Amino acid sequence: MSTSVEPFNRLVKLAARAFYDDITTKGDNQPKAGGRSDNRGIAVVVLDALTRRQWVREEDLAKDLKLHSKQLRRTLRFFEEEKLITRDHRKETAKGAKLYSAAIAATADGQQVGKEGEEKVKLHTHSYCCLDYSQIYDVVRYRLHRMRKNLKDELEDKNTVQEYICPNCGKRYNALDALQLVSLDDEYFHCERCNGELVAESDKLAAQEVGEGDDNARRRRREKLKDMLQKMEVQLKPLMEQLSRVKDLAVPEFGTLQAWEARASAAGRAANGDSSSNDPSKSSQGLGYGGTPMPFIGETKVEVAFSGVEGKDDVKPETSTSSLKVLPPWMIKQGMNLTKEQRGEVKQESKMDGTLAAPAVELSDEKKSINGNDAQSNLQDEYVKAYYAALLQKRQELEEAAKKQQESSQTLNSNDVSDSSSSRQVGMKSKRVEIDGDDDWEEAPVGASTIESFKVNDLNFEAEASGDDEDDIWEEG
Amino acid sequence: MFFHIILERNMQLHPRYFGRNLRENLAAKLMKDVEGTCSGRHGFVVAITGIENIGKGLIRDGTGFVTFPVKYQCVVFRPFKGEILEAVVTMVNKMGFFAEAGPVQIFVSNHLIPDDMEFQSGDMPNYTTSDGSVKIQKDCEVRLKIIGTRVDATEIFCIGTIKDDFLGVINDPATV
Ligand SMILES: [Zn+2]
Repeated sequence: MSTSVEPFNRLVKLAARAFYDDITTKGDNQPKAGGRSDNRGIAVVVLDALTRRQWVREEDLAKDLKLHSKQLRRTLRFFEEEKLITRDHRKETAKGAKLYSAAIAATADGQQVGKEGEEKVKLHTHSYCCLDYSQIYDVVRYRLHRMRKNLKDELEDKNTVQEYICPNCGKRYNALDALQLVSLDDEYFHCERCNGELVAESDKLAAQEVGEGDDNARRRRREKLKDMLQKMEVQLKPLMEQLSRVKDLAVPEFGTLQAWEARASAAGRAANGDSSSNDPSKSSQGLGYGGTPMPFIGETKVEVAFSGVEGKDDVKPETSTSSLKVLPPWMIKQGMNLTKEQRGEVKQESKMDGTLAAPAVELSDEKKSINGNDAQSNLQDEYVKAYYAALLQKRQELEEAAKKQQESSQTLNSNDVSDSSSSRQVGMKSKRVEIDGDDDWEEAPVGASTIESFKVNDLNFEAEASGDDEDDIWEEG
Repeated sequence: MFFHIILERNMQLHPRYFGRNLRENLAAKLMKDVEGTCSGRHGFVVAITGIENIGKGLIRDGTGFVTFPVKYQCVVFRPFKGEILEAVVTMVNKMGFFAEAGPVQIFVSNHLIPDDMEFQSGDMPNYTTSDGSVKIQKDCEVRLKIIGTRVDATEIFCIGTIKDDFLGVINDPATV
């Protein structure tokens, strides 16, 4: 299900640096103005930016990159010709723009689907672009193949027109004159002027560099070619390795702009649990999205580091956070080892509702900075601060307790858990108010990281497996 | 490569062909004049497949001949650089071999013949691999790639190579 984009993005970045590093996209009418208008490197920047996006409106991209939209369009047109990206142009109504915004919102942060009426677009033609990963894979491979073939062909004198020279009068001929040169008497070519026997000039390259020292020139040229071939193999090695790594992976496919929009906003709605029927993309929901939500790229990962907890956060966060979280019913399967709290059963509920204030008092007593009575009315950030401090303290206590009572942990632990969870409820309550989508994105990084690590293993395996047949692919006959 | 194209030509017709069969006469003369010729631009005219349109005739001053602009459909054959062709070997010598693909003559010089094939002189000069399994001699069919063309007003000459993947002898009548 998870087609991962990361290895392909790496491929794009490598290819960008290898082949498009010094591309300038100048308009024909622009004079060569030297330094100022030199926009080398822009191609790389644009490609990199595209690896962090899916379908993107070109105006928005220009804005993000602080580029003039004309300049960006020129670069994009170049990449379209290079077959690296697909583009889509459409006349847009306000509705169409909204559709896109909805999709973007869904991919960006999973919040607020559809900025209502923010962008009223008249009927304007808008262009969108998107990397075409499967084609990029082919294009890069083909390009490497052509490079290697050209060099090898030249090294082996393939595709070169044979030249002949008359040793008597020095007149030159080439293979295209062959018909006039054949003689019926023997099996050699003869000079038209003096009927001398022609000798083949074994190298076209030498012939190009006219005059004296033919042998030297030829040898130099051959050396240069060999050198180039070798350099190519060395310098493009990372790219080739990435190609072979990516070889058997499923290629990320964003589909057409319309399909992508529909899919993205549908996925966004699903993530939010938002089934509002007036969603702008509702109308186009029908068109083909295959059910699998896109793995969204460029997601921001948030890591919260508690100071002083770094060393020991292996086990503890597990107990303190996940134990109290009420799992949604569809996640609970038979045979899962869950506490009652996790199952969201009544006892916990009543605790939450009825005795909310009590743990808060306990907490603040321990902390000695906040008065229990004021707790509810205090500013929220103070509350949060207290919560984190308490949590930290609790953790340390827990650890000590765990050290002491390792053997009889089973019963004690459950106590601890309920204890810590109740203490956390307070914080949760206050936190719930400000970050509502909490549950959603708290889970996301966990899932992503596991996928990531799995992927890495997979890649290594891949590289090992296909390491040796890489050579065979392009071998010339 | 073959193309089916429409070409135009001014035909001069002697007054004695005028009459009921004027059009048939024009078509017959067109075939006789055009088929088998070669122009550098379009290649060899292989066959005329139909008359598209015959314009109004114009009487030439002094002679009585009439000129008709005739548009006709025809099949042309034009070799291109990089094209793969199948051809019949016509002559083998020390410098390489000549082959024909229809009207086109192709020369393959010896450095574009695989290195493991050596020239053998005799009544039947040929290029043979060291183990004798592959032999290029007169009347062999070979698949080759065109690497250069010389296009004159009335002639096209090509040079080719068999030093690449999937090129070389495809059928040797001597061994069948
Ligand atoms: Zn001479």
